[in-house]
Amino acid sequence: MADSLDFVLDNLVNLLIGVPAQRPGGLLLSILLSAGALAVGFVVAVAMGAAAASPWAAVRWTARAYVIVIRGVPLLLLLLIVHQFAAGGLLGVGGSTFRSAFLTLVLYASAYQTDIVLSGLRAVPRTLVEDARLLGASPARAYLLIRLPYGLRVMRPALLGQGVTLFKDSSVVVILGVAELTTTARIVLGSDVANTPFWVATYLAVGALYFLTAVTLSWLIERRTTSATGLVAG
Amino acid sequence: MIDAELLRSLPSTFGAGLALTVALTVLTGVASFAVAVPVAGLRLASSRRLRWPVVAYIEVFRNVPALIQIIFWAFALPTLFPMQIRQRLFFDNAVVDALGAVTGIPLPYYGLAAALGLTLNTSAHLAEILRGGMQSVPRQHVDAARSLGAGRRAAFLSVLVPAGIRAAFPAVSTRLIHNMKNTALASFVAVPELFSRVQGEITRTFDATRLLLVAAVMYLLLAWLMTVLLAAVDARLRGPGSEPARG
Repeated sequence: MADSLDFVLDNLVNLLIGVPAQRPGGLLLSILLSAGALAVGFVVAVAMGAAAASPWAAVRWTARAYVIVIRGVPLLLLLLIVHQFAAGGLLGVGGSTFRSAFLTLVLYASAYQTDIVLSGLRAVPRTLVEDARLLGASPARAYLLIRLPYGLRVMRPALLGQGVTLFKDSSVVVILGVAELTTTARIVLGSDVANTPFWVATYLAVGALYFLTAVTLSWLIERRTTSATGLVAG
Repeated sequence: MIDAELLRSLPSTFGAGLALTVALTVLTGVASFAVAVPVAGLRLASSRRLRWPVVAYIEVFRNVPALIQIIFWAFALPTLFPMQIRQRLFFDNAVVDALGAVTGIPLPYYGLAAALGLTLNTSAHLAEILRGGMQSVPRQHVDAARSLGAGRRAAFLSVLVPAGIRAAFPAVSTRLIHNMKNTALASFVAVPELFSRVQGEITRTFDATRLLLVAAVMYLLLAWLMTVLLAAVDARLRGPGSEPARG
């Protein structure tokens, strides 16, 4: 028991920021990966949201298919698919597992965020957009300057919540060996049979790190959005 | 690219894996729902003593990634026991032998561990969704039942719970489909479900592009099938009177 605790404490820095050869890694990389994918995914989702409202049926259907396909397959499978095609040079991104993992998380995040963006946009009063158009704004300007910023306020809690989900889901990039928290746990335990007694403590520690981070993020989001809505109402 | 030969070989290559994925999906989906309903109910209980263990259950199993939970139950838990006891308890007894004979999983305990991890994770998510549903039930409905002479328990069980399930069912469906996709995580602990079989075939034939596309189509079909079935359940729950108006 004391040995287990020592093992976890000895490796705590590795779990938090990665093993020395692969920094940033560990929990830090899990956070960076999911925050980055959330941000880039949002840009894609805004484009997809606009495409879903396009006057051309073909564009609308492409956006719809994008969401259905990405949301319909396991994230693990999506990782392998992206890595296969990215490594094959089809997307011109070469074979780095890190880039494949990041690209997959961007696609995954954007598909979920597209639905959030669409429902957020629906919550914007029509008259606001119509007034902007009457005052001479082009459809693109009315979308980017009026509809999107107002919708964003409605979307924000769901978008940030999606970020927490993404953080937890990012654990599956271990299949590509990207050195985030789950992979670091594997590296630290290694294939040494002598480390078998430390499995329980190490995975409890990893679970605790995911738990504490996710709960803290959720709490911060809840606090910020309640104060933000208070501001809007006031 | 997807030719007749490939299509003919699918049942023998992926039939067993697909069956295991479906079995895991149904088993863990039903178990999760059965656990989530009472957990959501207790979450709304007025007594603090009843509420906090339930809050802990929901928050812990929702916020630790399903993959970590599955690896913990499969690989870490058995190491707590000395070698001989571990062998008897997890890998060499009548229960796991019988399970292995039925499912064809080489290490049946890992199948159980994966099912446990998925059920804990999904039930915690469903409990949170159902709690939202139950909270959205107008207070007057419960008060009406109470004023007609129903006890607290009866009002809870026959008004709040069913109305809450109805209100939350679309979100419940989404989560159950998510759980189906999560069964692929069982591949990490040597459960030969669909995703693990696909990986095995890729290693064997190096035909990654085609196999990955076939796998994607199979999962999309499963997701579509679940969407259709769960929409039928949803319509049934809402009753014939409240079907969406047509035309």
